[in-house]
Amino acid sequence: MDVTVPDLGEFSDVEVIEVLVKAGDVVGVEDSLITLETDKATMDVPSPAAGKVSEVKVDAGSVVSSGDLIVVLESEEPKAEETNDQPARESAEVEESAGSAADSEPKFKPDAEPAAEPAAKAEPRLVNVPDLGDFSDVEVIEVLVAVGDEVEAEQGLIMLETDKATMDVPTPVAGSIQELKVKVGSRINPGDAVALILPSAADAPADNGTTESPRQPAPANVADAPPSAPPGPVAFDQTTALPAVGVVDETAFSRAHASPSIRKLARELGVDLGRVRAGGRKGRVTSDDVKAFVKRTLKEGIAGSALPEVPTVDFAKFGPVEEVKLSRIQKISGPRLHASWVNLPHVTQHDDADITELEKKRQSLKADAQSKNVKLTPLAFIMRAVVLTLAEFPQFRSSLSADGQKLIVKDYYHLGFAADTPKGLVVPVIRDADSKDVYELAEALGELSSRARDSKLGADDVQGGVFTISSLGGIGGSYFTPIINAPEVAILGVSRSSFKPIYDGTEFSPRLMLPLSLSYDHRVIDGAQAARFITRLSETLGQVDRLMAALP
Amino acid sequence: MTKPTPVDLVVLGAGPGGYTAAFRAADLGMNVTLVERWPTLGGVCLNVGCIPSKALLHAARVLEEAKESADFGIDFGKPEIDLGKLRNWKEGIVGKLTDGLKSLAKQRKVTVIHGTGLFTGPNTLSVESEDGKSEIEFKQCIVAAGSEPTKIPGLVEDPRIMDSTGALDLKDLPKNLLVVGGGIIGLEMATVYEALGVEVSVVELTETLMPGCDRDLVKPLQKRIASRYQAIMLGTKVTSIEAEESGIRVSFEGKQAPDDSQIYDCVLVAVGRRSNGNAIGADAAGIDVDQQGFLTVDKQMRTSRPHIFAIGDIVGQPMLAHKATHEGKVAAEVASGLKTHFDARVVPSVAYTDPEVAWVGVTEDQAKAEGIGYEKGSFPWAASGRSLALGRSEGMTKLLFDKESGQLIGAGIVGTSAGDLISEAALAIELGCDAADIGLTIHPHPTLSETLAFSAEVAEGTITDLYLPRK
Repeated sequence: MDVTVPDLGEFSDVEVIEVLVKAGDVVGVEDSLITLETDKATMDVPSPAAGKVSEVKVDAGSVVSSGDLIVVLESEEPKAEETNDQPARESAEVEESAGSAADSEPKFKPDAEPAAEPAAKAEPRLVNVPDLGDFSDVEVIEVLVAVGDEVEAEQGLIMLETDKATMDVPTPVAGSIQELKVKVGSRINPGDAVALILPSAADAPADNGTTESPRQPAPANVADAPPSAPPGPVAFDQTTALPAVGVVDETAFSRAHASPSIRKLARELGVDLGRVRAGGRKGRVTSDDVKAFVKRTLKEGIAGSALPEVPTVDFAKFGPVEEVKLSRIQKISGPRLHASWVNLPHVTQHDDADITELEKKRQSLKADAQSKNVKLTPLAFIMRAVVLTLAEFPQFRSSLSADGQKLIVKDYYHLGFAADTPKGLVVPVIRDADSKDVYELAEALGELSSRARDSKLGADDVQGGVFTISSLGGIGGSYFTPIINAPEVAILGVSRSSFKPIYDGTEFSPRLMLPLSLSYDHRVIDGAQAARFITRLSETLGQVDRLMAALP
Repeated sequence: MTKPTPVDLVVLGAGPGGYTAAFRAADLGMNVTLVERWPTLGGVCLNVGCIPSKALLHAARVLEEAKESADFGIDFGKPEIDLGKLRNWKEGIVGKLTDGLKSLAKQRKVTVIHGTGLFTGPNTLSVESEDGKSEIEFKQCIVAAGSEPTKIPGLVEDPRIMDSTGALDLKDLPKNLLVVGGGIIGLEMATVYEALGVEVSVVELTETLMPGCDRDLVKPLQKRIASRYQAIMLGTKVTSIEAEESGIRVSFEGKQAPDDSQIYDCVLVAVGRRSNGNAIGADAAGIDVDQQGFLTVDKQMRTSRPHIFAIGDIVGQPMLAHKATHEGKVAAEVASGLKTHFDARVVPSVAYTDPEVAWVGVTEDQAKAEGIGYEKGSFPWAASGRSLALGRSEGMTKLLFDKESGQLIGAGIVGTSAGDLISEAALAIELGCDAADIGLTIHPHPTLSETLAFSAEVAEGTITDLYLPRK
């Protein structure tokens, strides 16, 4: 039987970090075959059946998606498990298959790079509404092209009318219109699809009769050439050698209102003249226009990372150092945390929840729970309180729409919790936490935590979260500013509880206080709401009966 | 010679394209070897093409002008032609130029090897000469191996049947001459021989002289030669050419064919030129050659092998030296690591006939055929004082402007020095000039160049040297 990658949920193009079996191996049901790594967690793909691996179709480093073939398994006859009278034959087969696996190894090497090929083909391209400045929900007053039309780069496709001006939406590529996504009267926003365009071939025949043919680079034999030729015979095609500025549309280039010296400059800089805005007399492209185009392109290219840089320091100058590689999960989670930090305006609200009564209750139930093999942690109660509070504050289980224009409120309560594992931080998600009582929550917490530690989390276990809790209570410290697990809009940080003298109006009494830190996305949640949320959460943590109440 | 170390660049062919490429590459710091099968540099252009033909055309012009000056009271009498001296003078010009090239190559330390080059692999070229065979290993190569006159299949070998090279040799002057082919080369040679007193007939397969050029530009030339030549047979096919003792017997078929076969002292075959793409061992190098023998190249003059470039006649029409030299520079620059492309938009064509015919960019016929919207401004030289003062009135200048952008897209000129005048139009097209740009540029008076400004003014409606009824 063929074993394929199971449904990975939102993930695709996931990297295989480890191949746990080889051809010839005998595996049992649920034995792990390979380890995958998404940007949220690593997970093992188990074998759906017992059998012998006859061929492994992936390598460590392969990138796979749901449905991709992992291994070919020779299913064992059900009775084979019981009848152990054929080990000799089996081991003979093992050797045989191992040999054939070695033979076929070079064959599946290329499969490891599936992304390389399709890029070369001309694929229909979606043209979207560009950034309109302050406008949204703008009306289409005219559609300037029809399906089947050939358009040139920068040709207007539709005309929009905002309350301040009318404007054309141009196509960035030349090609033929495959599909129109809007009609007159449609109201559109930046990013909305306008049309599907099949880009035309870059090189059209030249006007002056010079024979021209789209040339296939022929690297195989070029390698014969001595390597020291000035630019190196291999890296010859300038249009591909300059991906930074992009591929030149030769037809548009040959029509640009630019003198020979400007064309020469454009070639040197790899600029597609057809895309340069002409600023000279009578619409001529000047050298300043070409330079401005390059500057703008460079600026746009690095806009995302246009942050002031942290100085690099040669630490070894000041004393002995040691280099330790970041774990894979750290490498992946780092940019995600950074993205959240720079994209979401974070505010953190702190509070102390009185959990004296709650802790009493927990201690009284602990032993009984332990006998049922459930570790009744404070986090299970906190989670229950969070569910109850989230029910009252829907913004806290929302996300901003991609265009930033809408709030998407989620009517489900999948709660993430940060789990510390030897490989780094992962965030398993407890599904439908609202349908679980504290015992069930505690059970789920324990089960997911142990799977996280063992890298056995599945795709479903790490996605779909609505709100995240990061608990450092078991370690220590009081108050911190957790980073929101974007696109969620809030995260609760929990620190270690301690007894504090609390004044009840007449006297001080020792109360067990739990430090809470709520970071929220200020674009979605305002300070008053956050204060109300955390206050309500604190109250709820004090309402032991509510927390323990049977689920409806 | 033994196998030397690989050279940076081998240029195969030392015609205008080849030597330009070699010199440019050497100037950019490359170690260059130039391979040429003939004993002198310069290729067809210098040795048996542009230059010797222009020398003879100048002689023809002098003869014509001397004859015409009788009209305004200066009679030189019947000219005496010393054919040997004329030939020597022409060869002296060629020799001076080819020697000049030799020293230009030497100054640049370009190694010149005389012999026939043939690819033996993607990085090797064998060169066969009288001294033996040698092999050159190269990192990059520019193929500039040119073209040869097209031969009529099955044509008999006879000294009285010649191609353009033979015609330029000027061995003797026949009483009469049939020129097979009414294109630029045939008509230029016809001009020379007619001026030297030879009775000339021209036969052309297509319906027109100088195919590819607008009819209104050819018309003044056709009108002038119609009365001077014995016959101009258009839409006529040569069915047989036989060498007889009394002359060359030629049979015709077609629209303007004479009923009977004709006898000519000499026949010049000028039916076009054929690329040498199939004569360089392209297979061994792995270069693609198309059905017509042209090497296919991209905008940087690279063949299907990115380290082998090709330029000039061998890559396609138009087969013109000035196209080859431009391509040669592109190839040399790309080979030395610059990001040059062939971005010229137009290549001017010139027939050095009398009158000269020159055109550049879009022709009117082409604009009509391709549905390109254009505005035309044309100026008849009958209204040009300078032209009349030169004793000629049949010229015409025509400018075509794009209807939408207003930019000049094509130009055609017929008349004295048309070939020199066309450059302004070529520059204007490359710069994207419109009619006002040309018309408002002050042109010196009285010159023939004024006719370009006048044509632009006609298009603009600001002309005062003509009266045009209001549209």
